[in-house]
Amino acid sequence: MRLLLVDDEEEFVATLAERLSLRNIAADWVTSAEKAEKMIATKHYDLVLLDVKMPQVGGRELKKIIEKKLPGIKTIYLTGHGSEEDYQAGSAEAEYYLMKPININDLIAKINDALGK
Amino acid sequence: MSDRIDPLGEAGLAFYSKVSASISHEIKNSLAVLNESAGYLEDVTLMAKKGMNVNMERLESLAGTMLKQVQRSNAIVNNMNRLAHSLDDPASQIDLNPLLELMISLSERTTVTRGFKVSAASSDAAVTITTHPFFLENLIWLILDFAMTVTGDAKTIAMLPLKTESGVAINFTGLEKLTKRALYDFQTEPVRRILSILNGTLQADEDKGIITLNLPEKTNKQGGLS
Repeated sequence: MRLLLVDDEEEFVATLAERLSLRNIAADWVTSAEKAEKMIATKHYDLVLLDVKMPQVGGRELKKIIEKKLPGIKTIYLTGHGSEEDYQAGSAEAEYYLMKPININDLIAKINDALGK
Repeated sequence: MSDRIDPLGEAGLAFYSKVSASISHEIKNSLAVLNESAGYLEDVTLMAKKGMNVNMERLESLAGTMLKQVQRSNAIVNNMNRLAHSLDDPASQIDLNPLLELMISLSERTTVTRGFKVSAASSDAAVTITTHPFFLENLIWLILDFAMTVTGDAKTIAMLPLKTESGVAINFTGLEKLTKRALYDFQTEPVRRILSILNGTLQADEDKGIITLNLPEKTNKQGGLS
């Protein structure tokens, strides 16, 4: 499986990808929706992990863009903090809606569950 | 007794709540970086115990990341502390240069998420004023929120503090779509009441795309808050 991690916090997303790779999970990362679109155009991904609040284009809007190009792709949302309204709406759209900071073992369990593994 | 929430109190609470939400979001992001960094250290420690090689340069860079995040969190909490203490004294002497920098920091998450860049041109000399700091911060927050609806395509807003004959002024520039009508509509009851407390006025220069907030050098403490 291959994941794409999208979060404007570079040090967070780069280190998370590194930790996933230590666990034999291939994960690319980018820091904006624009860069994510370019990655999606060149590689196949099974799941995207999207930060909900990013400058310009947030995770929820990016999910719609990605789904047009990769229908059926699984999504997990991540956020620092959001309103109850954000949580309700986001939970209905994605496989999971996780709050930072995350526990990597919980994340991997949810990735596997989302991908039916 | 009326159950109606006082519009001024409501505006103040809304401002404080939005800043609190933004700050908690920023702290969570910083904690997330620290969490992954600590997790990575744990991972490589386990690998080292199994005899695997550890990239020392990566560890050094990680230590730098963690220190940077501690400084970032500290700055966020310091800003929150400054805002919280702005309610302590209804008539404080304030230098507008650091106040505008504080407002940029407090509103950064909101403005950046909406794709805007806000800056402040600080002058070498202090631009001081004696006023109610919380209401001034609340008003600047509201003006920035309004200004984001009338900027040009560049989506940049610059704030410039100035000394004037009657006190001080803050110019909000880059507002290409500003109209006098829009500024009039912006002045809802809470905005009018904050302006009254601060003894301030707002002016629109449509041609230059500037809102000017005029403030007296000293707000009458008793009159302003009664």
